Amino acid sequence: MATNKRGVSGWLNPVHLNIERWAYVFQRVTGLAVLAYVVGHIGDTSFFVGGPFGEGPSASSWSLDLGVTENILGHFVLVMVVLVVVYHGINGMRLILAEYGVIFEKPARPEYPYKAKSLRTIQRHLIWVAIIGAILAALYSGGILFG
Amino acid sequence: MRESTMMQLQYVTAVLAIGLVTVHLLMQGVLVPYGEAVSFQQVLSVYRNAVDGALLEILLIVILAHGFNGLRIILLEWRQGAGWTKGVNWVILLVALAMIAYGTRTVILAATGQVS
Repeated sequence: MATNKRGVSGWLNPVHLNIERWAYVFQRVTGLAVLAYVVGHIGDTSFFVGGPFGEGPSASSWSLDLGVTENILGHFVLVMVVLVVVYHGINGMRLILAEYGVIFEKPARPEYPYKAKSLRTIQRHLIWVAIIGAILAALYSGGILFG
Repeated sequence: MRESTMMQLQYVTAVLAIGLVTVHLLMQGVLVPYGEAVSFQQVLSVYRNAVDGALLEILLIVILAHGFNGLRIILLEWRQGAGWTKGVNWVILLVALAMIAYGTRTVILAATGQVS
């Protein structure tokens, strides 16, 4: 019986590092990164109403907040957020389609060269769509923020 | 809730999040120029528009449900045990609800509060 004693550190196990495996590691790492950003973003946007103790929309509180986030470092973080969000979204759609069997072929008897037939479908290309889509979106947002 | 139900929740919130996040990102620099999108007047008009404000509130709930359920799944994969599972489930639920409450407060105050 298979065991899973390594837990999370097993994600980075360098054995069997095929592209599906990397896609899985990146899905989790980008998910955690996006969650960290979202929690920070909810805190940051609350300064539109004056922060935790504010009572309504405050132009002075908001300009104070923009002073913290609207700079080169802040814009660099936003470009990185676009990169990981777009990857997570496109790869996530692939995972949902795969979960419901939409993009898998039926399993077949193994034949030389013994590559899993069920994996030789559009789903492998979708990983590259996610990677390239994320890079293009990051470049586009970089053009907006730094252009 | 059964884990299979929680996983279906993860997929439903994922599909919703793709649509909502796409709109949210397009509003910040593509459909609305970036500098204008973060200006006080524009942000205020978004919060004071019933549809846009409601979309922000739905986005808040969907993204936090998806994100914290995802974190929960990772934590339960990291370690196993009845106490750990129970503790993670409760802490994640409470933190997620607290974040939803805090974000909802921003939406309500932005939509109805006195502008200063």
